Amino acid sequence: MIYFDHSATTPIHPKVVEKIDYINREHYANPSSIYTQGRKAKSLIEKARNQVADAIGAKAEQIFFTSGGTEANNQVLWTKAEDKKKHIIVSSIEHPAILKVLKKIEPYGVTTSLLPVNTDGTVEIDSVTNLIHEDTGLISIMLANNEVGTIQPVQEIVKITRSLNIPFHTDAVQALGKIPVDVNSLGVEYLSLSAHKFYGPKGIGALFVKSKKMVKSLIVGGEQEYGIRGGTENIAGIVGMGLAAELATQSQKNCHTQLKDLEKYFLKKLTSNFPDAKRNGSPDNGLPGLISISFPGNKSDIIMAKLDRKNIAVSNGSACNTGNVKPSAVLKEMGIKDDLNLSTVRISFGQDNNKKEIDLLISALKEII
Amino acid sequence: MSDTIIIGMSGGVDSAVAASVLVENGYNVEAIFMKNWDDEDEEFCTAAQDYKDALQVCETLDIPLRSIDLTDEYWDKVFKIFLEECEIGRTPNPDIICNKEIKFRAFLDYSLELGAKKIATGHYAQIETHDNIFQLLRGKDSNKDQSYFLYRLDQYQVSKSIFPIGDLNKEYVRKKANDLGFLNHNKKDSTGICFIGERNYRNFLKKYFDTQPGDIVSDKGDVIGQHEGLMYYTYGQRQGLGIGGGFGNQEAPWYVSDKIISENRLTVVQGHEHPALYHSFLTASNINWISGSPPTNNNNMTAKIRYRSKDTPCIITKQSNNILVKFTTPQFAVAPGQSIVFYNNDICIGGGIIESRSN
Repeated sequence: MIYFDHSATTPIHPKVVEKIDYINREHYANPSSIYTQGRKAKSLIEKARNQVADAIGAKAEQIFFTSGGTEANNQVLWTKAEDKKKHIIVSSIEHPAILKVLKKIEPYGVTTSLLPVNTDGTVEIDSVTNLIHEDTGLISIMLANNEVGTIQPVQEIVKITRSLNIPFHTDAVQALGKIPVDVNSLGVEYLSLSAHKFYGPKGIGALFVKSKKMVKSLIVGGEQEYGIRGGTENIAGIVGMGLAAELATQSQKNCHTQLKDLEKYFLKKLTSNFPDAKRNGSPDNGLPGLISISFPGNKSDIIMAKLDRKNIAVSNGSACNTGNVKPSAVLKEMGIKDDLNLSTVRISFGQDNNKKEIDLLISALKEII
Repeated sequence: MSDTIIIGMSGGVDSAVAASVLVENGYNVEAIFMKNWDDEDEEFCTAAQDYKDALQVCETLDIPLRSIDLTDEYWDKVFKIFLEECEIGRTPNPDIICNKEIKFRAFLDYSLELGAKKIATGHYAQIETHDNIFQLLRGKDSNKDQSYFLYRLDQYQVSKSIFPIGDLNKEYVRKKANDLGFLNHNKKDSTGICFIGERNYRNFLKKYFDTQPGDIVSDKGDVIGQHEGLMYYTYGQRQGLGIGGGFGNQEAPWYVSDKIISENRLTVVQGHEHPALYHSFLTASNINWISGSPPTNNNNMTAKIRYRSKDTPCIITKQSNNILVKFTTPQFAVAPGQSIVFYNNDICIGGGIIESRSN
């Protein structure tokens, strides 16, 4: 298979696979147990917590493991549902793990304002101040968009909101390993991560919280994760995430260069072969290797099915549990009309890709389009 | 390379076995799961479960499964018409329009665009060609025959279709599914209108209409009850009228004999054999002849006035755009909006929408 869908998920780094396998074999003890093997398991978790913290410039006690980015986002928003200040500002192109949660917590008195985006998918900073009022308890804007890759000006918005003392959350699920992610320079109070987006395992993620008292538990049970997340820890997942985070930050610069290189190579071939193809997003301020392209007059699901026959995996929009494709809400928010919207595919390169694979993609596309 | 056939895979046992038959016959088979309906009421929407079942079948057969979202087309071409017909008190059959406009049009077009030579479905019906005419035949399992729902197809649509299980019976299909390891081999047959499914028809319609209650009137002119809105009732309906037997005759139940739209009145009569429930003539509009031309004579002509009604001999005469149908024996509960479908022995020759009935 030629895999060009790294924004959906990444293959697991071989070293991480090895580590997970080792943990599953050797460290099955419950980390809450007081005997030697339990203590060992606990210390492995704490080592992983340090690795994740280091990857984003945080302190270990600011990291809480979750089942993934979705749970991390949920936890922040549900915390706000119990807060006094129940007005939340989010960008209009957030992931459903933000937008759908906001609907769900409406009955608790939570109100939402959507921050619009411009045609390249960047939030309109100037609108933020208009949306803020005295009841605003949270601003949540993703660090980079999953469909078009546009990197959001989180740091600049935080500069505006800092003086107003409004907590800021960023969903950084797409960003780690591709661009620098540092909670100090970003200045955020909350940040969500998901291991399987940076060559780690699925089913594990983390929430950065500036201070533990700013978050309430969502999954209630035992006192794991310092009382913030009940349930016996997913040790293999946590250790795998720790290692993956370390590897991803170590290789981030190289990865950026490599992905940019693949992106440029692809785009050059694309424009010479398909002059009508239109790239969505912000070419100068996007995630490396994530390319959203519309092929006017073509249907993305037909393109995808035909690429699938050639065993090439790309994506269009976000598929639901019956595999259906609807016009992308993100592209809609960027002002892209439905017919162009439905002609859009997302190609997201990863560390395991090479130029030969891109040549094969281009020749496949030439047959299809 | 062998021809590519794309099968519409519903997650049910029929399309699953249909796919397996195609694979056995050496075709290059791909499956597509159609989503035609978006239901906010998840309790009744089985799409996710159905997709899972379809995936298990496709993985077993090692064929790809893709999805297509036709909810917009379904809403525009099928559901809107269903509502319009209900609103004027008729008894529409949306599954017939779905076949014509969605499965054998939108899905067919899409499949051909994907490079399919033909499409296949799990319908119990058969296709034969004679003198370059594609004939639609009843399914071999007379109890499951679905040709009634396919009578609006034209030559092009039939020529691009395969019904791989049309010559099998249901019992065999289920057994084969079990033998092949399909987890849906025991799955209940879908019943009723697809978007309503198992739920209460009246409650479903209530979401779309303001109800206009009115009188239920006996054939003698007595008001004997209240109806909840004419669209909730159909001709010949016995249950759910909210009136017991017992008005004069203790034994005989009440049946809907007519709907008087202009007066918002439901007329009922007592006893299944009441003459007001029977008609010898009907007119039908929107006639479709599958071969492209009307039958040359009435020899061996029979008709079904609803799915599962018995074939009954009839004579067709043309009246401008409509046709007049005369039955040799009067028919129970002829319902405007329903389809009358004509057969010559086992050949389904076409049909139309019932407009009116008379004696």
